[in-house]
Amino acid sequence: MDSIVILFISGLLGLFVGMQKKPLFSIIIASLGLIGAGVAAYFKGSYVSPFASYAAFIPTQGLVIILLCAVTLLAMLGGYKRYKSDDEHTGDYFALILFSLCGAIIMAQPNDLMLFFIGLEILSIPIYVLVGIEKGSSRSAEAAVKYFFTGSFASAILLFGIGLLYGATGSFQIIEIQSNLAIGIWQSPMAIIGSLFLLAGFTFKIGAVPFHFWGPDVYDGASNAVLMYMSTVVKIAGIYAIINVFGQVFRDSYAFWIDLICIIIVLSMFYGYITAWKQTSFRRLIAYSSIANAGLMLFALADIHNSNIFLFVTAYALSTIAMVVVNTAVNDDTDSLANWEGIAWRNPLVGVALVLALFSLAGIPPLAGFFGKFSLLWSAAPHVPYTAILALIASVIGAFVYLRLMISALKKPKVTLPIHLSFEQVLVLVLTSLATLGALYFI
Amino acid sequence: MALILLPLVFSLVAWFIPSNITRIFGLIASAITLVVSSVAVYFFEPSEHLLIDFGLRFVRFSIDSLGFTMLLLTNAVIFLVFLGNFKRSITNEKRFTALAFLMQFGLLGVFTTNTILGFYIFWELTLLPIFLILYWFGSFDKPRALLQFFLYTLLGSLAMLLSVIGLMHATNQQTYEALLAADLSSLGNTSIFLMGGFLLAFAVKIPLFPFHTWQAETYTKAPTAGTMLLSAIMLKMALFGLLKWVLPIFDGVATDFWRWPIITLGIIGVVYGAVVAIRQQDLKTLFAYASLSHLGLIAAALMLNNFDTNQIAVVQIVNHSIVSIGLFLAAGIIEQRLGTRELGQLGGIAKVAPRFAFWFAVLTFVSLSVPFTAGFIGEFFLIKALFSANALTGFLASTTLVLGAVYMLKAYQAPMFGPTINATFEDLHWSEIAVFAILSIAAIYLGLAPQCLTDFVAHSLPQPTH
Repeated sequence: MDSIVILFISGLLGLFVGMQKKPLFSIIIASLGLIGAGVAAYFKGSYVSPFASYAAFIPTQGLVIILLCAVTLLAMLGGYKRYKSDDEHTGDYFALILFSLCGAIIMAQPNDLMLFFIGLEILSIPIYVLVGIEKGSSRSAEAAVKYFFTGSFASAILLFGIGLLYGATGSFQIIEIQSNLAIGIWQSPMAIIGSLFLLAGFTFKIGAVPFHFWGPDVYDGASNAVLMYMSTVVKIAGIYAIINVFGQVFRDSYAFWIDLICIIIVLSMFYGYITAWKQTSFRRLIAYSSIANAGLMLFALADIHNSNIFLFVTAYALSTIAMVVVNTAVNDDTDSLANWEGIAWRNPLVGVALVLALFSLAGIPPLAGFFGKFSLLWSAAPHVPYTAILALIASVIGAFVYLRLMISALKKPKVTLPIHLSFEQVLVLVLTSLATLGALYFI
Repeated sequence: MALILLPLVFSLVAWFIPSNITRIFGLIASAITLVVSSVAVYFFEPSEHLLIDFGLRFVRFSIDSLGFTMLLLTNAVIFLVFLGNFKRSITNEKRFTALAFLMQFGLLGVFTTNTILGFYIFWELTLLPIFLILYWFGSFDKPRALLQFFLYTLLGSLAMLLSVIGLMHATNQQTYEALLAADLSSLGNTSIFLMGGFLLAFAVKIPLFPFHTWQAETYTKAPTAGTMLLSAIMLKMALFGLLKWVLPIFDGVATDFWRWPIITLGIIGVVYGAVVAIRQQDLKTLFAYASLSHLGLIAAALMLNNFDTNQIAVVQIVNHSIVSIGLFLAAGIIEQRLGTRELGQLGGIAKVAPRFAFWFAVLTFVSLSVPFTAGFIGEFFLIKALFSANALTGFLASTTLVLGAVYMLKAYQAPMFGPTINATFEDLHWSEIAVFAILSIAAIYLGLAPQCLTDFVAHSLPQPTH
């Protein structure tokens, strides 16, 4: 909980520092806040949080906070160029991101459904704002409005689900709900409908089929900088929330919902990858790829006692951030994939980072993506073997998507104009590449 | 340790050396790996294991005599690829040199690791450099053919990944020795599926008959060096996997189940590949189908899982590497000198380039498996083994000898002795002669004294239980 306090305070400080219109100060404050929060999560053992009765952290999940902070830091640095171009609001943007991260951390590991819902809203509301930061662009405004309406609707459904569960069990506390459901209440219509509503809300948040429709439009309308944040942190928080809620609350109705999850996995992966295939706009491609990856992440639910999702989400976040940073550097407003042709030749760092990111997403060893997929399937395959087979077939289509992108990036251009990366972009690309290679540690 | 890590080091170094010495660097570095491995083999006791442990959890290395054979073969192939392409611009490219060494590293990993996950990791690792080599240096006008190759392989590999996971779950073991000792009979039909996953990956790579469609196009469009790497050593990963991992581990229900389907596919490949090769006009396509035909025979014979046949299969694996390097180099030379590979546009080369004609002829005869070459020993005993298993299979397999003669002689005779179309043809460079000479000597030596290889590998091939 102290991480949240640190994040919140640094967000507030950032708001005041932002008035100086010195983007450098803002990013330093925000980075320090993120690093401090990560360190606090690492050392939290000796400290008893005042909120402990509401949100007791499951010990291993201090790692999740560190991951969320690190990913946010990368996303922030990667998008710094965009944020600082609007120096009047740089401080506000960073504050919004930090506040939203507080929500993500609360949401990722609740022990109380009410608190979880509050976390979800804290996470979502700043993002509704951030999606709309391109004030001049009507697409950005459209995306913000669309995301706001659909997102609020999904939140309402989720809240409805929580309400029904409360009606069925008389509690918001996850442990109590679980013990009440365990004695047979889970078969009551109220609890079943409640669980379905929760599932629908979650599916919306992580953007899996059939509640994925907002994804492409919103990703397309948002700026690259915001995309980096929302395509990674929201998904990571969402998947951890779904693991905690479904893995604990609905432990006893596993047999009932696992089939649904399998259907969602297969549909998301095939839909996401097949649709991504024909995209011509980079951000839409990322959107469809993220739909497919959301499907893959749901494999974590197949083995509720041992969901090895950490490596996979890390690898996904690293690759996505690297790709979006590259896109920021090479692409213009049209966001067309045609601009990607030959970029690997224009800057060696871009080439190396891209090859690593794309091979990692395609799941080729010995990169992080492979170990992510491997550990995910390692625990899931014995429980849902047929889904795993279908998922692998879908992965081949996915590899096709990523390789097509790589082929275009590696094509030798006739004229090579060097790409100039700013310092923080270089830093992000180097860090993501090293981390992607760092998975060798797990061999 | 240097045995395995040296190529990785060279691959990293290659990015940082000045461009004008890249060519020399590639040649010398590959020679160093070859020499190091030769010395290691010299001091190696065939009945022992050479354990190499870097303290990693999932990847450990243990080199037995079969591993050493393949390791030596890999290093030799890489050296010959650098030597054979010495006069081409491709070896002057840092990227190619670095990727070829990375590939060598991956291959050595496949051949020497003794954990099943390590096998998978290295197997996939080789995809990365070959993809980039084919893409950068190949003449793929559209990425479609390249992607087809890559995706086929990936589909196979992912099926293998599932099987690896399944196998590790089922036995709770990961090292070769432990898996060998594990009892899979309790798995029943599951073991059939697990083996099926492995076989799918191997069938794509070898390639077996219905999975071969990537082969011809990839071979034709790839640069000569890429084709040599692919056919001379990369495809051998699959045969090696079959020989070392899958057959001994799944010995029992699963092997019995898959034996005849795979033999059937292999034999279909033998006949189909040969027949299609006869009809080809493009030299590289012709050799590609010839390769399909030869490898089908090895795969079919391996499935018999017979101790003696397995030893001979190793001879034939080495022989096929020799033949494919030689033939694809010859095709590459013709293409480089004349700009075409169409049989119709070639003729009378022997008159202007007698040395090339001589060495090409030697390689053609090696490929035809005439007595005193390794191919004779290999094909003769493999066909004999198939005959004793089933007469019809043996008969169909033996057509490879006749059909092989038809397409090989056609591929040799028309360009060399046909009506003179090509009046100028620059004769062989010393580096190319060296490659042909090494290959011919190796093939003839193996043909005269195959027991030096069969006795060597016999130590590490498991004795069948039944």
